[in-house]
Amino acid sequence: MAGLVHVIDDDDAVRESLGFLLETSGWQVKLWPSAQAFLDAEPDPREGCVITDVRMPGLSGIDLAARLSREACAPPVIVITGHADVPLAVQAMKAGAVDFIEKPFEETSILSAVRAAFDRVADSDAPSEGTGEVGQRIAGLSARERQVLEGLVAGKANKIVANDLGISPRTVEVYRANVMTKMRASSLSELVRMAIQADRGG
Amino acid sequence: MQRLWRLTDADDLARHRERFRARPYIYGVALTAVGFAARLALEPLLNDRVVFLPLVPAVLVAAAMGGLVPGLVICLLSAGAGAMLVAHYGLIPANVADALLFLFLGLVISWGGERIRRAQSEAAETARHLSERQAHLQSILDTVPDAMIVIDETGAIQSFSAAAERMFGWSREEAVGRNVTLLMPSPDREQHDSYLARYLRTGERRIIGVGRVVLGQRRTGDTFPAELSVGEVNSEGYRFFTGFVRDLSEREATAHRLETLQSELLHISRLSAMGEMAAALAHELNQPLSAISNYLQGGLRLLQSENPGSQAVAPMGKANEQSLRAGQIIRRLRDFVASGESERREESLNRLVEEAGALALVGARGAGVSVKVARDPAVDAVFVDKVQVQQVLLNLIRNALEAMEASERKELLVTVQAVAGGDMAEISVVDTGPGVSPAVADRLFQPFVSTKSGQGMGVGLSICRTIIEAHGGRIWAEPNPSGGTIFRFTVPRTGEVAEV
Repeated sequence: MAGLVHVIDDDDAVRESLGFLLETSGWQVKLWPSAQAFLDAEPDPREGCVITDVRMPGLSGIDLAARLSREACAPPVIVITGHADVPLAVQAMKAGAVDFIEKPFEETSILSAVRAAFDRVADSDAPSEGTGEVGQRIAGLSARERQVLEGLVAGKANKIVANDLGISPRTVEVYRANVMTKMRASSLSELVRMAIQADRGG
Repeated sequence: MQRLWRLTDADDLARHRERFRARPYIYGVALTAVGFAARLALEPLLNDRVVFLPLVPAVLVAAAMGGLVPGLVICLLSAGAGAMLVAHYGLIPANVADALLFLFLGLVISWGGERIRRAQSEAAETARHLSERQAHLQSILDTVPDAMIVIDETGAIQSFSAAAERMFGWSREEAVGRNVTLLMPSPDREQHDSYLARYLRTGERRIIGVGRVVLGQRRTGDTFPAELSVGEVNSEGYRFFTGFVRDLSEREATAHRLETLQSELLHISRLSAMGEMAAALAHELNQPLSAISNYLQGGLRLLQSENPGSQAVAPMGKANEQSLRAGQIIRRLRDFVASGESERREESLNRLVEEAGALALVGARGAGVSVKVARDPAVDAVFVDKVQVQQVLLNLIRNALEAMEASERKELLVTVQAVAGGDMAEISVVDTGPGVSPAVADRLFQPFVSTKSGQGMGVGLSICRTIIEAHGGRIWAEPNPSGGTIFRFTVPRTGEVAEV
């Protein structure tokens, strides 16, 4: 039986089209125009997975992720946004989101994120996969690269990291690219997620 | 302590004055004695006559040195000495006349001496005042951060302040006497003499008392934006022009001037409004794009399934609706830029170009770039919204400067020329950067296409195109035959031609 996916977005077209995409991929879908509507209808959601937009009137996607993560048996939350930047990604991951995806997205990235979210629920007792490996990759970074990573994970913009370390923003970009390669992160949100996971694990 | 010191000083001065006052008497008495002795010695030759003449020098000297009172005192003393001689040689009528003449002469000499002495002290006082004021003025001029340059009617530099030395890199000795065109880049360098000649001929003021932003050139060849104000001095038939130059590239001054200049031109409000608009639009555009992508990907999946049927029709229709929604968002940006706020008037194209050029160079952006502006006075009056066209120019020049950041040859040329046919003027911005890759060249003026990896929205040139097309002009780019890129645009000219 296919899992249930809650899609929360205030933009009708985005919500409906995403629902359509998920349905054609075989998931069951429920659509909600706001986080509040979702919480009102499902005061104790234990089933499935949640995909939420960040910027919405009322309760934001980040607030929703934070609220759900406090509950014992909360569904995994995937955050999607049209305005992706590092501080926001960090905020979302810290609020307990399992993934952070930038709009517009490829079918494969949203579908694999949903699949991973369900896998995680299934293996929730097992330790998070690959934490040790991520730790090894972090150990492989140079001191400077680690500083840049820490700055990014702290939600600082490139310019601020550059200022803190006394190097140019362009150099920070170079370090950031190196960090991405060494960590084998395909996106910024993946990088942030790995760093936060490693942080939680260690 | 200071007081005491002052007191002693005053005492010294008083003592000095006293000694100075006694001098005429000492000299007078001494010369009287000498005259007296000389007259005694000359008696065999003079035979009781000319008793008083040898005593005249004593009165002359005393009056010249001390003025009226010493003159009179020595005159009386000499008269006494003469009287003694007369008493000795015998009281003859000639000697009586001689004595009276001597007294009269003594009076006149003393009075004359007084007059001369007063005039002298007045002159000394005036000279002292003058040199004091001169020193005061010089100290002010040396501390003013603006460079001060005085030229004569031919443009030759007469005076070159310390700040000017620092700003332009020429020393006073080198600059004075040379033509002031030394300090400016083309085309002003070639034309400044004619500006001067025209002013002297017509008396029409174009910069005197007005002030404006111009380009200056340092000894090293670097150009920099500067604010120039010029005053005129008429002195005994000669005319001098005093120029105050403020370097706008200097950081501190920049922040301040930039603010006022830009607010004058309304650039800030317009830019930030556009920036906010662009950011909001970028966010908004993501929504329909996401929806389109979702519908299409889902539809594709359905079509690829074994039994597609007609289920894929609805999502295709919805995707289409969303793409129209995206188009509307972009149209809103165009409408915003080309809205009725546009204020078109007859403007001086050359001045517009000059100001935009100087503005674009404000700050460190123009470092190491040689900038040339080739204006054409014959192509000047255009019918445009000045702020908008300056926006375009500013954008193109900043792009050019950015493009040349890593280039070895950094030459920026801005030219103004007529388009064959006559009713349009063409402005070109030529850089020696790496050029535009053919892949991007075709789409250069479309929104959200950026050649700056990771930076910039890619809306700059599309806004430029919207502005220029709204003016009935055209904007395009072509490769620079000697490396780099040339951006050209046209704007409509008006019938009348007015010079800068």
